[in-house]
Amino acid sequence: MWGICVKLSWRWILEFLQTDLTPQEAAERLINGGVEVESVVRLAPDMAGVVVGLVEAIERDLGEHRGHHVVLARVSTGRERFSVVCGAPNCLPGVRAAFAPPGATLPGNRKIEVAKIRGVESQGMLCSEQELGLGEDHERGILAVGKDAPLGADLPAHLGLDDWVLEVEITPNRPDCLSVVGIAREIAALTGAKFQYPSITVTEGPEDARALARVRIDDPALCPRYAARVILGVRVAPSPHWMAARLLAVGLRSISNVVDVTNYVLWELGHPLHAFDYDTVEEHTIVVRRARAGEHVTTLDGEDRALGEAMLVIADPRRAIAVAGVMGGANTEVADSTATVLLESACFQPGSIRRTARDLGLKTDAAYRFERGADIEGLRDSLDRAAQLIADVTGGVIARGVVDAYPAPRRRPLVRLRMSRIRRIIGVSPPVEEVARILEGLRLPARREAEALEVEVPSFRRDIAIEDDLVEEVIRVWGYDRIPSTLPGGVLHPATRPPALEQADAVRRALVAAGLSEAITYSFADPATEAALGLARPTAEPLRLLNPLGQEASILRSDLVSGLLETIALNVRRQQPNVRIFEVGKHYARAGGAPAESRWLGIALTGARADLAWYAPRAPVDAFDAKGLAEHVLAVLGVREPAIDTAGDGPAYFERARWARLAAGGTTVATFGEIALPVREAFGIPSPVFVATIPLDVVAQIGAEPVRFVPVPRHPSVQRDIAFVIPVSVPAAQVEDAIHGAGGPLLRGVTLFDLYTGEGVETGTRSLAWRLTFRAGDRTLTDAEVNDTHARVVEAVRQRFGAAVRGA
Amino acid sequence: MADPRIDRLRAAAAEDLERATTSADLEAVRVKYLGRQAEITQLLRSLGSLPAADRPEVGRQANELKVEIDAGVTEKLAAARVEERRRELERAKPDLTLPGRRPPLGTLHPLTRVHDEIVRIFMGLGFAVAEGPEVESDYNNFEALNIPRDHPARDMQDTFYLSDDTLLRTHTSPVQVRTMKAQRPPVRIICPGKVYRRDADITHSPMFHQVEGLAVDRDISMGDLKGTLELFAREMFGARSKIRFRPSFFPFTEPSAEVDVVCFLCGGSGCRVCKSGWLEILGSGMVHPQVLRNVGYDPEEVTGWAFGMGVERIAMLKYGIDDIRLFFENDLRFLGQFA
Repeated sequence: MWGICVKLSWRWILEFLQTDLTPQEAAERLINGGVEVESVVRLAPDMAGVVVGLVEAIERDLGEHRGHHVVLARVSTGRERFSVVCGAPNCLPGVRAAFAPPGATLPGNRKIEVAKIRGVESQGMLCSEQELGLGEDHERGILAVGKDAPLGADLPAHLGLDDWVLEVEITPNRPDCLSVVGIAREIAALTGAKFQYPSITVTEGPEDARALARVRIDDPALCPRYAARVILGVRVAPSPHWMAARLLAVGLRSISNVVDVTNYVLWELGHPLHAFDYDTVEEHTIVVRRARAGEHVTTLDGEDRALGEAMLVIADPRRAIAVAGVMGGANTEVADSTATVLLESACFQPGSIRRTARDLGLKTDAAYRFERGADIEGLRDSLDRAAQLIADVTGGVIARGVVDAYPAPRRRPLVRLRMSRIRRIIGVSPPVEEVARILEGLRLPARREAEALEVEVPSFRRDIAIEDDLVEEVIRVWGYDRIPSTLPGGVLHPATRPPALEQADAVRRALVAAGLSEAITYSFADPATEAALGLARPTAEPLRLLNPLGQEASILRSDLVSGLLETIALNVRRQQPNVRIFEVGKHYARAGGAPAESRWLGIALTGARADLAWYAPRAPVDAFDAKGLAEHVLAVLGVREPAIDTAGDGPAYFERARWARLAAGGTTVATFGEIALPVREAFGIPSPVFVATIPLDVVAQIGAEPVRFVPVPRHPSVQRDIAFVIPVSVPAAQVEDAIHGAGGPLLRGVTLFDLYTGEGVETGTRSLAWRLTFRAGDRTLTDAEVNDTHARVVEAVRQRFGAAVRGA
Repeated sequence: MADPRIDRLRAAAAEDLERATTSADLEAVRVKYLGRQAEITQLLRSLGSLPAADRPEVGRQANELKVEIDAGVTEKLAAARVEERRRELERAKPDLTLPGRRPPLGTLHPLTRVHDEIVRIFMGLGFAVAEGPEVESDYNNFEALNIPRDHPARDMQDTFYLSDDTLLRTHTSPVQVRTMKAQRPPVRIICPGKVYRRDADITHSPMFHQVEGLAVDRDISMGDLKGTLELFAREMFGARSKIRFRPSFFPFTEPSAEVDVVCFLCGGSGCRVCKSGWLEILGSGMVHPQVLRNVGYDPEEVTGWAFGMGVERIAMLKYGIDDIRLFFENDLRFLGQFA
């Protein structure tokens, strides 16, 4: 989900916890207590019967077999001897190695039986790392173990692999759970098991640490505490087997005994430590300060890092030797030659560490913990524990005392928890005695005051600051399943929706009913695509993302059309040539400096008007489909008879001769047309595409007129059909306007029902036929009245457009 | 006394009616006995030539006969028409196995369907719908919600920035902030809308949809949150749905809870999708006192809870969709499944 997963060994946890729970049960309890356990995995791969065997002697050389030199070896498990065919280069007398006798099972349910290889009977198998599922290595040969490994011992147990690993994911408020001890403490609080904090003792030598090293904090706001110990006479070497194995189990690579101890203690107690080679620290003096202008340091990963002046560094009097809380410097790194170690255990301001790690692009285990908050008091335990371990594994001697710069020791905050507050927040409260018990289990010392508890917050619980934090702690342990199920009371108010959502809903319903499919496309767009669509506008610039996922999604779209065209292209590519889609979504722009969002409807059509069927005419969609759908939506939104306007320039993505706008009260309420050929070809769409767009905010402002009842006509109407032959240059809408104008109040309906060019109609003209409906509100019209009005209409159209009445 | 002509005509008409089978025959009968030239019509016209005493009786009988014949013809005619229409259709019987003329079938996007369902449920519970901009200030999206700069909680929501303090909202919570700033308690709203996080794989989309809910009032508890979400789960996932609360962490709620619903695929026994028998569907909690203070409310006076769910997640669970990217590809073969 977020952050990193920490792997913790169950055996390690059990060093601090007395419980009969299985790791699975403990994980379940942790999950229900708010600590996410991603998985509980057995450390050893699934094998049975694999033991430590000793190659006693090579009995025979069997020659080459499948590219390997094969021998017959005599293998002893202490109680029995086996003759085993083996081709590994390291199969030598005296080697103790992983041995699977007949009857053993290897990972992948591979059963080992007596087999014949090159005609020789092999009683079992000496196994490589790869064959045991413990690693990739096969070429180096059989998995050898130490000379001290007891013969016949169960191999996974010997390797410390009979263990479970809990993969734990911690919410940002619980850095205290990022360790073995932290999780042990948490399990104890949640289950009532007994938790044993490690007993940490230090055996110190005669030399005084304060005489050996000095610490100066120049910026106590960013480093409230810095403690150090000195360990003398260390011998840097590989770690002992037990420590390396344990680190490996939790996913850490063994480096050297000194470095491994710092990691070991980090995992065990949760506090990041750093070991310097004491002799490389100038004047044996640590200075904690901000980086200087232009300062550089080479970090342990070998990278040269340019530091910013806001960054905190650990320095000696001459130079930076570490990026504080993030990564150590190469100049003071512990090496094979190191004889004296200066061990740091410090606390840094979380925000500063976070900014530094981010600015350097360095994600480290240390930074991850410091940016969540370290335990300013517990850091002494970590220092002592690590110092003692270093002394133990390196043969060194710990100098007496701690160099501890802690200018303003933390005061333990008190937080009051009222039972009434628990009831108020949760709806119910456990009795105060139980609350006290729960807090005790969480190691939160509390003093009872009637129906409240005064809680002293320990330094490892930085997340607890207010009363409600304690409410959560109590209820989380008590059990969220015990929260009652009730419904809120109070006054009910009518549930309303913003008009914009009502409008969008009406639009969607209308278009779905008309057979279109709704699409939802990303708000992101490619600036190159938008430029190709000619969407660059002088008045508005696109909204650019500072950190886009890619160039193709680096701005917010300024028009729905790019997403709609992409959708058409995808469907056409996937053998669906007929696409009728719409989207209700936003256009984004910067207008007058401020980001602006406006709601739009986009409709896009391509291919056939209707899906293939025996009854359906095979006609492709055209601009009138786009126009009609726009008119349909506008009608639903209360804009009944928009005016058509073909003047001026439209959006650049339309063919110049195939677009128009619809207007109401002088405002554009829709634009429709055919997508320009190069535009659609750039999208890879082979068939013409027709698009209509409607600015929904604009239409909402115009607003539907409230519905007023008009009486249903009581008198009959009279219908007359008339066909005019008119030059094709005359727009039909103009003729219709003229008809309306001439018809007067008796003319109630004008419907164009036929359009004809061809035989019988002169080239350059066309025949347009209208049905005219005449009616009066208060009487039945006489033939004379109808004839009169009709004649006026005919005369007007004739005179104005030079039209001839067809068939007249 | 009866006119002998009337008895004769009655007998003749009965016979003709009996013989007539088609509607044409019947129309002919009607003309023969009731038309202008019919004998009864003649008879009635000639009443004047009868003795005055006979006139009323003969007139009455003639009229009675007319009514009788008319009724007989009408009745038989109705039956004959039905029969004739049936025979005509039998002769030109259409092949009704041909596909019907279907109007084109449009579809709402599955996210719209699920969104509408969620909104409908909460509107039914008295929640008003509130909206806000997608391009937001860092303050409304984070700081007002108790997520300061340089707080690790910002890792939970990897953010697209437009400038140092302008971003694409990572949740619809800024709408809660805006609403609370503009309105005194009680507040009961849901905030649906697009949100953005810098994350892309088969279960994460850089753009997705959320519905968040907020209730603030004098006495409102986590118990009320649980009850409300139980009601929601039953409406959304079926009457036998159960939910569970798990402790979690969100900077803007305290206490916080993840909410799981019993897997409706396996009924809670554990399957390929849920693994544990539970499906995580939303995050929730009691509004953090600092958030209440940030909008000018007094946390000692009012309490509140909030929840938030991903529409895509609910839709994926509900329809068994395994790749979030399908929602934004808009393949018609995908969209067409949600008619």
